[in-house]
Amino acid sequence: MKPVDTAHSTQQVVLIGNPNTGKTTVFNALTGMNQKVGNFPGVTVERKSGSFSINHIRFKVVDLPGSYSLQPNSEDEQVARDYIEKTGEEDIVVVVADATNLKRNLLLCSQIIDKGKQVILVLNMMDLLQRNNQEIDIAKLQNLLNCPVIPLNARIGKGIDDLKYAISNYTYRKNSFTESRISSNVIDETMLRFNKINQIVNECTTKVGEDKSFLFTKKLDNILTHKVYGYLIFFSMLFLIFQAIFSWSSYPMDLIENGFLMFSDFVAGLLPKGILSDLIVNGIIAGLSGIIVFVPQIAILFGFITIMEDTGYMARVSFLMDRILRQFGLNGKSIIPLLSSSACAVPAIMSARTIGNYKERLITILVAPLMSCSARIPVYTLLIALVVPEDSTFGIFNLQGLLVMCLYLLGFLTALASAWVMSLIIRSKGKSTFTLEMPIYRSPRWKNVGLEIFNKVRVFVVDAGKIIIAISIVLWALSSYAPGNAFEEIEAKYAQANPADESIAATMAAEKLEVSYAGIIGKSIEPAIKPLGFDWKIGISLITSFAAREVFVGTMATLYSVGSEDNTRSIREKMLAAKNPQTGERLYTRATTFSLLIFYVFAMQCMATLAIVYRETNSIKWPIIQLIYMGILAYLGSFIVYQLFS
Amino acid sequence: MTLDQLKENERAIIKHINDESLALQLLTMGFILGEEVKVERIAPLKDPILITSGSNHISIRKADAKSIEVQKTQD
Repeated sequence: MKPVDTAHSTQQVVLIGNPNTGKTTVFNALTGMNQKVGNFPGVTVERKSGSFSINHIRFKVVDLPGSYSLQPNSEDEQVARDYIEKTGEEDIVVVVADATNLKRNLLLCSQIIDKGKQVILVLNMMDLLQRNNQEIDIAKLQNLLNCPVIPLNARIGKGIDDLKYAISNYTYRKNSFTESRISSNVIDETMLRFNKINQIVNECTTKVGEDKSFLFTKKLDNILTHKVYGYLIFFSMLFLIFQAIFSWSSYPMDLIENGFLMFSDFVAGLLPKGILSDLIVNGIIAGLSGIIVFVPQIAILFGFITIMEDTGYMARVSFLMDRILRQFGLNGKSIIPLLSSSACAVPAIMSARTIGNYKERLITILVAPLMSCSARIPVYTLLIALVVPEDSTFGIFNLQGLLVMCLYLLGFLTALASAWVMSLIIRSKGKSTFTLEMPIYRSPRWKNVGLEIFNKVRVFVVDAGKIIIAISIVLWALSSYAPGNAFEEIEAKYAQANPADESIAATMAAEKLEVSYAGIIGKSIEPAIKPLGFDWKIGISLITSFAAREVFVGTMATLYSVGSEDNTRSIREKMLAAKNPQTGERLYTRATTFSLLIFYVFAMQCMATLAIVYRETNSIKWPIIQLIYMGILAYLGSFIVYQLFS
Repeated sequence: MTLDQLKENERAIIKHINDESLALQLLTMGFILGEEVKVERIAPLKDPILITSGSNHISIRKADAKSIEVQKTQD
């Protein structure tokens, strides 16, 4: 069938409504998969836009952040107000209201009518209204407000066609809610509005029985916010999320990594050997793999978070945790990003969006990477094995396991302490209040969950991905190029050797890395890292592991292939055998190893995290501050530990 | 008295809110001067508190509840 031509309407449809009214569900039902997620210019408030067609006319739809009124109390509401102010006379503002809470929802509606906009009022959650034994006289409400009123049940899509029809057939009627400019004082004005709203609500609604909507929620709250069960359930929930991000995601992640390895081998085989092939395989494909590998973790975490938000459970978590976290300048909602950060800081930082207060959100983003993430595990494992034999125990505990736990704890406590310090320094945008609506419990809307996961993954891959690829290419260039003809000299040296001999090839690779720009940087920073007990080889690894912490292990493996007769020994054995050239003693003493461990606990060794912080804070300032403060923590921590143990 | 002094399940009428921005915020969230408010629940660590008025349920910190003047209703 030939597609019919569609004309683009000059009219824009703007969705606005109180939080928890199902506005996003209305947006999803209107636009389906035709949606884009971005930010409003200059702020990090999420901007969803999309489109739908009716009668061959295409309408653009913009979803504004949830707002209680046009008098802004948060960044979200400010954005919504500014957007409403800018909409043209021909645009249509759809106010989505919770039918079970008409009085409060009509406040926003009345303010928008008085702005002279073309308003359609959508009464969502009509199914709940019936269960609450209430009825609304739609025709009467329409008359009293003098604007179209559409009853809707967005969950099952009932009424969506009526809404589309009302949008495409809108005829402007001059309208105002209040007769005159009532008062210069906003509180008095709002009170007067509520007086009139009260009259309208009383005229239009009838109670046919007892309102039972809160009974279920109240019963569930008795358990979920209980002083014992409440915390118990929450920590089990966290354990489940943690488990999912940590271990379930390893299967798809291995699959992705192996897939990329096969793909890069395939590409390497296709292209002629040379700079171009090297750039594509080791720069771009390696960088891409480093991005895509995070997708399972992001998808799983956002699946859980959206379900928690959608059901109303997230508000209860904040209710339980706020008192504890507030003391450190954080918010009840900070618990999710902080704990998910022990799997991976990237999705964790994206999840900080649920924190409404600017300052608390920023602090959460800045301290989250101090939690030990899964990429640190290979580094910890390798280094701890150098100083603690596998079977040593402390009491009934395995000493290696105990050390890993201490490192996790150190990260967590440092995150809290840093948050507290930052709360004293960072200036607040507006007062920190914690007025949070507690919505009634509802089952999750799976379509919303799916769309949210899809949107979050897309934001990460597209926005953070660009920066990660760029840095990957720089790192690749640094370790694949050397000044002058240093590489040619090394190649000449081994010209007679059998190219099939793997140990020769490894030695050559190690020598090349030593003379490369990365090697030069490693050697030139040696004086700076010497007080920490590090040599230039560690220096190179610190630089290359900026791509991702686990790269440390790979770089060490390459570097320590130098001078070894056989390739059978593990990196651990090679590092154990390494000698300090000046003293002739073991290079990886306890002091050096502990110092290096502390460095990896604190240092901001992850470009993906920096890229996402840049994306989320919309400023280059915060990732730089984060890089510096975590670098200082790492340097000082390592310095103290090295001096204590040597 | 102020709202933070109420025990769980006690009701009161909102008289005055000393902090203007908080007053406006609560008003837009459906907590209207002269209407009844109930302390539905106090968090396990004694702060924040869950208050209700009509169909509106919100959680606020005790520090904010302190600036809400109320008159307890007898039941």
